[in-house]
Amino acid sequence: MLKFALAGNPNSGKTTLFNALTGSTAHVGNWPGVTVDKKEGTYKKLSVPVSIIDLPGIYSLSPYTPEEVISRNFIIDEKPDCVINIVDATNLERNLYLTTQIMEIDVPIVLALNMMDAVKKAGDKIDAKKLEKEIGLPVVEISALKDEGIQELMERAYKAAQEKREGTTVLKDSRLAHVVDDVKIALKGKNVPSPLFHAVKLVEGDELEVQNHPEEVAMVEEFKKQFSDDVFEGDFEAMVADERYKYISAHFSGAVTRAARTEKLTKSDKADKVLTHRIWGIPIFLVILFAIFHLTFSGDLLYMNTIAGWFNGGAGFAYDVDTGSEVLNSFVAVFFTADGVSTPGAIVFNLMGFICDQIGGGIATGLEAAGAAEWAQGLVNDGIWAGLSGVLSFIPQILFLFLLISILEDSGYMARVAFILDRAFRKFGLSGRAFIPMIMGFGCSVPAAINTRTLVDEKERVMTNRVIPFFTCGAKAPILAAVCGAIVQVWNPGIDAGLMTFLLYVFGMAMAIVMVAFMRQTSMRGEVAPFIMELPAYHAPQFHNLMVHLWDKLKHYIKKAFTIIVASAIVIWFLSHFSWEWHYLADEQMNESILHDIGSFVQWICTPMGFGYNSPAMREVGWVFVVAAVTGLIAKENVISTFFVLGNCIAAASGADGVLDEDTMEGWQAVSFLVSETGITWQGLISFTVFNMLTVPCFAAAATVKGELPKGKFRYTVAFWLLTSYITASLVFVILSWWWTVFIVAAAAALVIAYFILRNRGKINLSRKHKKEVQKRE
Amino acid sequence: MLHSLLSAAGTAVSVVIAVIAAGLVVFAIVHHFVRKKQGKSGCDCGCSNCPGHCSSCLPENKQEKK
Repeated sequence: MLKFALAGNPNSGKTTLFNALTGSTAHVGNWPGVTVDKKEGTYKKLSVPVSIIDLPGIYSLSPYTPEEVISRNFIIDEKPDCVINIVDATNLERNLYLTTQIMEIDVPIVLALNMMDAVKKAGDKIDAKKLEKEIGLPVVEISALKDEGIQELMERAYKAAQEKREGTTVLKDSRLAHVVDDVKIALKGKNVPSPLFHAVKLVEGDELEVQNHPEEVAMVEEFKKQFSDDVFEGDFEAMVADERYKYISAHFSGAVTRAARTEKLTKSDKADKVLTHRIWGIPIFLVILFAIFHLTFSGDLLYMNTIAGWFNGGAGFAYDVDTGSEVLNSFVAVFFTADGVSTPGAIVFNLMGFICDQIGGGIATGLEAAGAAEWAQGLVNDGIWAGLSGVLSFIPQILFLFLLISILEDSGYMARVAFILDRAFRKFGLSGRAFIPMIMGFGCSVPAAINTRTLVDEKERVMTNRVIPFFTCGAKAPILAAVCGAIVQVWNPGIDAGLMTFLLYVFGMAMAIVMVAFMRQTSMRGEVAPFIMELPAYHAPQFHNLMVHLWDKLKHYIKKAFTIIVASAIVIWFLSHFSWEWHYLADEQMNESILHDIGSFVQWICTPMGFGYNSPAMREVGWVFVVAAVTGLIAKENVISTFFVLGNCIAAASGADGVLDEDTMEGWQAVSFLVSETGITWQGLISFTVFNMLTVPCFAAAATVKGELPKGKFRYTVAFWLLTSYITASLVFVILSWWWTVFIVAAAAALVIAYFILRNRGKINLSRKHKKEVQKRE
Repeated sequence: MLHSLLSAAGTAVSVVIAVIAAGLVVFAIVHHFVRKKQGKSGCDCGCSNCPGHCSSCLPENKQEKK
């Protein structure tokens, strides 16, 4: 089968073209670095099927990051039948820099001028025929997004693939032509494929080439000794780059005719003046983030009811509607409750809860009518359905959250956030580029960890991988929503669930930054890599892309719910209803179960975090929190699922059976019930949430992080997660329980910070290594 | 007679539930191991959403990495 590779600058539309060619639904984002590994698909509209390989975006063939190496190695070593070089036509000159390098390889090439729709919209013109004549390669105008020119592109690529092509260079008339030619002849004599490309890279001083062709290095060095240049002072890489740009500007720029601009600033520029403002940029980002969480989790849209309460002696306009029908009441409560008008996220959540209630009620009635044994009813109602519905009811809400985040990503705003956070991140030891994988962590830690390949510095990659789980993923979001909802309902702290959830999300982000700063001062000392990022133009989010993202997320949830979550719920129910002697136990005998013994065995460790042996009631049934945290290691959705399964069992045991059965299938109610039964404090609940946010992520995420870390670093990473979560959750519990301890913690933190500042100034150093060095010197 | 029939039906429903429950657990475990044997990761995050394009999943890519 013929093999065509898609190569081009980051964010030039390669994956959009790949999707259009192969019918795939690969992730497309409006920021550079979405693709970090190659992907394969098949194009079937030619006379023969063609394998299409989507490569990560690169600016040059001298790679710095792991994903850039993938692209270079593929083009050079895998010898595709044709390279389709995707060029962002709105930035032609800069994109052609890579083209001038690919041209040097002995491979057929077709130039695809992508985004021609945007060029035409701006009133600019590109003379493709003139460019084709100048560059000596087939040039096709396309718009991958609008599916225009794609068939022609593939036909010309197919035609190009039938003929052999020898590399050509734009350096042929430059001062370096002589040495390039000499090295090329030497390499050709040794039958090195693409000798021209390797010759130019050797002149540039490319590390890989210097290692691979040591004999020719001497020839290059000899030339360099005799070569004098005042401008670049012996920097041949810069010299080659300069020659390339000079050639591009002299020969190719003539093909572009720019329309006269009446306004100096584009719409994107105007938006950037506000959104990337050096002072207001970060506050605006936090406000946008807050708006997202408010619209997703709050039960009082725009705080209308709360604000009305300020003017009405505390009583708002909202109330629980009583229609006389229980089902109708539940349905009205989907949109309007005593808390106020529901936000869109709350509406979809309530609606799903309403549907789950009806299904659960139907199942319970059906099993009773069928005469199923008591244990079988318990297994289905309190085990399988309780566990499953606990997760299912959160799906629409999490999808809504994901939709809003996807809109930000697709619009191009997320790339700006990386830019505005760079200055703040840099102070703590990270570059703004690290923000992209971190924000991906809000969806799932697995793709986020893989995206860390775009980071140049290895230490930065390690640190980012370690803190990615601190960014609350979609699976952890239900824990936050349920716990915050329960706290608001039981203790009424004066803030709503949406704000509390937002604060916990921000806490996770803050912890990530604090721990990066700590690592930079201890085990990961070093300079922060420079951050250069191309800011994409803003555009309206593509409906198709958004739906693909959501569909993918939905599939993931459903698949997980009906495999791992159901299985875990059954196992938990089984372990909580059987003793070590394999005797079936009724709900009220749960304290003799295997699960009780396992949970109690480790529960004491959790006492400093507020969900251990903190009270007699907690000693009795508080182990459910420990079990929930442990099952969360398999999949974080299991935490809520476990609350439902064990909550139902405890309800049955305490004679409150039915409390969680029919009209109370919401997460916060399961947690509220556990609060009343276990006596756990709100401080303990927050600490429990913090522990789950910061501890070892699910097995899948942990395995991915292991794959992304250098050898030997994973065990330290697991220790890092365990220690960070344990110590932080304990501190949170202590501070929230006894507010004055905040001064002790702040004083300790101040001492640590002061030590690091003094050490960095060379005034103090308590490390053993330093002491040994001093002793040696003496 | 009716009472014993109803009781038998109840027992049958209970047995079916137990079998389905056991089946679900076995399916989840087997599914996990089959995926692992196929060289796919346990991430289940949805391949199209993955920036690595499931290079962690595809066996040939895994071998390349090694």
